[in-house]
Amino acid sequence: MIESPARNPSLAWREVDGEIVIISPEDSQVHELNETASLIWKYADGIRSCDEIAAELAAEFDVALEAARADAAELIEALEEKRLLLVAAPVAG
Amino acid sequence: MDRWIRRTVERHLPWNVHLDLTYRCNERCIHCYLDHEDYGEMTTLEIECVLRQLAEAGTLFLTLSGGEIFLRQDLFELIAYARRLLFDVSVKTNALLVDAEKARRLQELGVRGVQISIYSADPEVHDSITKVRGSLARSLAAIRLLQGQGLHVKIACPLMTHNLAAYRGVQALAEELRIPYILDLTITPKMDGGTSILSLRNPSQDLLPILQDPIFNPKSCDRDDVSQPSLATGATGSSSASGLESHAYDDIPCSAGHNSCYISPYGDVFPCVQMPVATGNVRRERFEEIWYHSNEMNRVRGVRESQLPVCSSCTIRSHCERCPGLAQMEGGDLLGAYERACELAELKARIAGVEDPVSALHVKNGRDAVSCKVPPLNVLPQASA
Repeated sequence: MIESPARNPSLAWREVDGEIVIISPEDSQVHELNETASLIWKYADGIRSCDEIAAELAAEFDVALEAARADAAELIEALEEKRLLLVAAPVAG
Repeated sequence: MDRWIRRTVERHLPWNVHLDLTYRCNERCIHCYLDHEDYGEMTTLEIECVLRQLAEAGTLFLTLSGGEIFLRQDLFELIAYARRLLFDVSVKTNALLVDAEKARRLQELGVRGVQISIYSADPEVHDSITKVRGSLARSLAAIRLLQGQGLHVKIACPLMTHNLAAYRGVQALAEELRIPYILDLTITPKMDGGTSILSLRNPSQDLLPILQDPIFNPKSCDRDDVSQPSLATGATGSSSASGLESHAYDDIPCSAGHNSCYISPYGDVFPCVQMPVATGNVRRERFEEIWYHSNEMNRVRGVRESQLPVCSSCTIRSHCERCPGLAQMEGGDLLGAYERACELAELKARIAGVEDPVSALHVKNGRDAVSCKVPPLNVLPQASA
């Protein structure tokens, strides 16, 4: 099953100079995303799959797709663990 | 976070906005600086338009306040709209109108913080300030409802002559509720410039017990005697401040006009709720036009500590919490010194061990700090709860 990460709708966030800062209302934690994580964040629309996001990273940073897949998987997992991203299966059809 | 705040200051990003939704209120606090009449507050659509503009401008922190925000029938509609625009939303309220359903709605909408003013743990004192019988009980009941929903609640306690002795009780109350609190030592003039309420201000000397309280000032007594920090984090400061502290503000008087501003219920934009410098109105101009291009906003933004004609040379400047807005309202000069700040700075400097501290204003006026002499710590009166 292909998973499509989505931004947790309960969060507050803004982009400043290409980097994302997120505030969680639950615990007031501030999360500052680096350039790569910020890009993943922007593409995490609940529609794009992890593979599609990796392809965007590969194109943006001009790196091999496999390397981008590994980075994306690691970062998406980290963001999911912090409940910043919610990873769900896409709606069929 | 400090890095981000520094970035917003450098780029003049309006990261933090305080928006008053109404000046109407169901209390009549004796120290309040507002005129509670409604002269035509912004409509739902107007506010939503402002919120869109703030989001486009990069605002992240949005504080909704009043007056009493729950008097707005569209409050939850506005909060929901703000949350859809991904703002971090905090609210300030007396909470008299907060019931279980409203508490649930606030939590459901993802409001991050609720600040409630409590003037004393003694209902007689609190209610005499709000002029609403039973208001303390109602506010406390609301705090418990909000906590029950998992919301972060904070107590703000402006101190005036009527409730100075009550601060220990508020402290104990906050500890019992396990919530943070802030003691606000400042009573500000009315927004229309009226100074009658300044008679409620505590003389500086009377604030000594608080300034020396080890909870707020661990250096004021022998470190070995400092008790363990309270579970309820306490602080002195401005109850109208954002709470976003940073070294990014070190060379500027404050964040007003740099990365924060205030918008009134009538759409007037000020650098700060405490700084009566009119910079424009969002009913007539786009917010970003005012923020970046208003002559008055740029004038405020251009001020640096080194430019302050009196304060820049003050030897006790590090002990001073000078507010440019109060400098304007009380001293008539945005860049000037004002008596209240000097008195408090001299007190704090003396508590910190500075010998015979005298502010630059008092030096200039040929005054000694005679009104601010601090007796030895072991003869100070203890504030009663």
